[in-house]
Amino acid sequence: MTDLVIAHLYPGLLRTYGDHDNVAVLSRRAEWRGFSVRVEGVGPGEAIPADANVIVLGGGTDGVQRVVGRDVVSRGGAVREAIARGAVVVGICGGYQLLGRSYILPDGREIPGLGILDVETRASDGRIVGRVRGDARLWGRSFDLVGFENHAGRTTLGSDAAPLASVTRGHGNNGHDRIEGAVQGSVVGTYLHGPVLAINPALTDAVLTRALAPVTGGEELAPLDDVLEHRAHEGLARRVRDDRRPIRRRRIVVATVAAALLLGAIGSVEVFEKHERNETAGRFGSGLVREVGQAEHSTEGQSASGVIV
Amino acid sequence: MTLESIETVEARDSRGAAQPSSALHAWDSFIAAVGGGVASLSRSVGAGGGTSAPGLVIERLDPGFVRRRAQSLARTTTVVSGTNGKTTTAAMLATILDARGTRVLTNASGANLFRGVAAALASAAGDEQAAVFEVDEAALPRVVRASEPAVLVLTNVFRDQLDRFAEPEIVARLLRESAEALPPGSIIVANADDPLLWHAVEDLHPIGFGIQAATPTRTPTTTRREADPEICPRCGAALRYLQRTFAHLGVIRCPACGWASARPAFRVTVEDDGRLDRLRLSIDGVSRELMLGGQHNAYNAAAAIAVASSLGIAPSASIDALGSFVPRFGRSERLSFDERSFWVFLAKNPVSCVTATRQVASDPRIRAAVVLINDRAADGRDVSWIWDAGLEELLGLDIPVFAGGERAHDIALRFRYAGGTVDAVDPDLDALLTRVGAVTRPGDNVAVLATYTAMLAFRRAVLGSRSAGVSDTVRDRTEPVLR
Repeated sequence: MTDLVIAHLYPGLLRTYGDHDNVAVLSRRAEWRGFSVRVEGVGPGEAIPADANVIVLGGGTDGVQRVVGRDVVSRGGAVREAIARGAVVVGICGGYQLLGRSYILPDGREIPGLGILDVETRASDGRIVGRVRGDARLWGRSFDLVGFENHAGRTTLGSDAAPLASVTRGHGNNGHDRIEGAVQGSVVGTYLHGPVLAINPALTDAVLTRALAPVTGGEELAPLDDVLEHRAHEGLARRVRDDRRPIRRRRIVVATVAAALLLGAIGSVEVFEKHERNETAGRFGSGLVREVGQAEHSTEGQSASGVIV
Repeated sequence: MTLESIETVEARDSRGAAQPSSALHAWDSFIAAVGGGVASLSRSVGAGGGTSAPGLVIERLDPGFVRRRAQSLARTTTVVSGTNGKTTTAAMLATILDARGTRVLTNASGANLFRGVAAALASAAGDEQAAVFEVDEAALPRVVRASEPAVLVLTNVFRDQLDRFAEPEIVARLLRESAEALPPGSIIVANADDPLLWHAVEDLHPIGFGIQAATPTRTPTTTRREADPEICPRCGAALRYLQRTFAHLGVIRCPACGWASARPAFRVTVEDDGRLDRLRLSIDGVSRELMLGGQHNAYNAAAAIAVASSLGIAPSASIDALGSFVPRFGRSERLSFDERSFWVFLAKNPVSCVTATRQVASDPRIRAAVVLINDRAADGRDVSWIWDAGLEELLGLDIPVFAGGERAHDIALRFRYAGGTVDAVDPDLDALLTRVGAVTRPGDNVAVLATYTAMLAFRRAVLGSRSAGVSDTVRDRTEPVLR
């Protein structure tokens, strides 16, 4: 019997941001600890394996999610059975939205979701895009969560769902309540997409510990050498901190451009006047600007030959 | 539009029929001079290569400048846009025109926003007979409205900078919007092998281009990680590929609604693409070897040939001219440093990284590979895409692999979960190059796969400071697409 059976839902469709690799990360981290693993892709119309103990849904574009949405609602019964058996469900980005009760379109129409997370997502004009950091609490564990979010939907939690993390930087579910993701029983959803499980090994191991509980008796998993995971995690955490910096840099750029404009204009007034007097003298009529023009040539010489045809 | 008619336009202009008033002309010269002043200043203070700042100033000072200046070249302007291949396609077209003795105005690589086109127009000598601009997808609608190009070239739509573009469908809509904004009589040249792109513009009667293998291999049916989900752009059903070149490009037919790829008017045959720096192509019975490799460059050549044909240049003459095309600016560019040859590939999204990786994997001369990933605005702040970029293929080559750039550890992590390790991981480029030097010998070939600003940093490191090109500072402020 296989220790860990991962049902990867719609692998050919929900895969916009490296979603395959969250499955690969779950597999590797179980294999490195000596557990046997089987991954099964589940396309539209195909059955979720009866022995699945992790179900993973990734993210897709709006068009793809419409295609997937039609199929996913038919799976409510099968997914609830798996949960009753102890399976963990992980929804990422678009997959997170699909786990919820419904997705509400701009015209008020409601597209039903799986309904295993008490959350509701409302379409919005503005996208929330950027790096995120938060303090996560999941099944009795606390850890630092980092990632990248990119979503147009605004998600709010109902009373049955708990926040996955409180946001310290970035936006999260809706940009208002400082909440990122949701947890309800063994179901967890997050907007942090891409290889979120690779750079947040604490989240991955929480999922594995719970999914493997029937095998391990709920014991802690053996620690792994996570030097690279932590470096990547810290690297992103540092970028989140630095996200404030471009504002200052923009000011410097604006100031430089303004100064350049002023000096450039002063230099060119002379050209303009001469030009008015004698239009046939050519475009760079003044000595000053001709010098500038030549300087332009000599400094840009190397790159110009390489760049400009 | 032929070269003969270009000359007719010129003749009419010289008679003064289409000339602006002299006061306006003087004002435009003033604006151009301001641009020149800003360019030299921005270079002298070290802000960059002087390609974007002047355009930015011109854009703020007088947005009408581009319209007036471009219209003196209006009937001869070609604008190239799309996710990948803009720089190379534009450069190839310029090479073809240049071989005919046509003086061509171009914008500097990377300076492809509205301001980059403005800067190029400000720096025009005035005797150019044609203009070729590569334009960012987000800047395209505005550039098209202002410059009223004779030809619009649309290369492809792939997943790219999703923090900026959100999804490929949005890019396809931007390209469609731009195509609709073309003045009457303009020509659209589009990639017929790209279902998403072709479907978006097909009712505007584009001229199609595509490629085919000399000996078609078995039909690939497996989906590919770097490909965008292969669903029908019309009905959403799963597509069937009759032929596939790479990613989601190929000849398709939807089994559900019957929508199918069009037969392109220009199809280049790829006779051999087995090396990094060689590509044998043929069209209309003429076969030439190009000095760069990869099927993606066959598409770029096909696009340039199709445009040239609409300008009256026969495909056989175009492919002949491309035989002397020299790749540059981090697109299959070869740089010598420390007695080693570094082959630089811009790897900015899953598709460009996969094609670069396959090229590297296909060439046994490569002795080491360096992957450099930055996450600035111009690179895409979200590096999730490196997980779908085929980098694991480098692990099977039995050569040392190095991870660098600001997100070096994410690359190393990606290799760890692909079942391998990198030989060194260091965000510090100089330190990393020292490690590369330690495991390679003089004369060795080293492949460098880098994101946009990482590529600039690498060129700066090996070429010296000023020649690397566009300023990161200015380029960083890319035009937002997301609302």
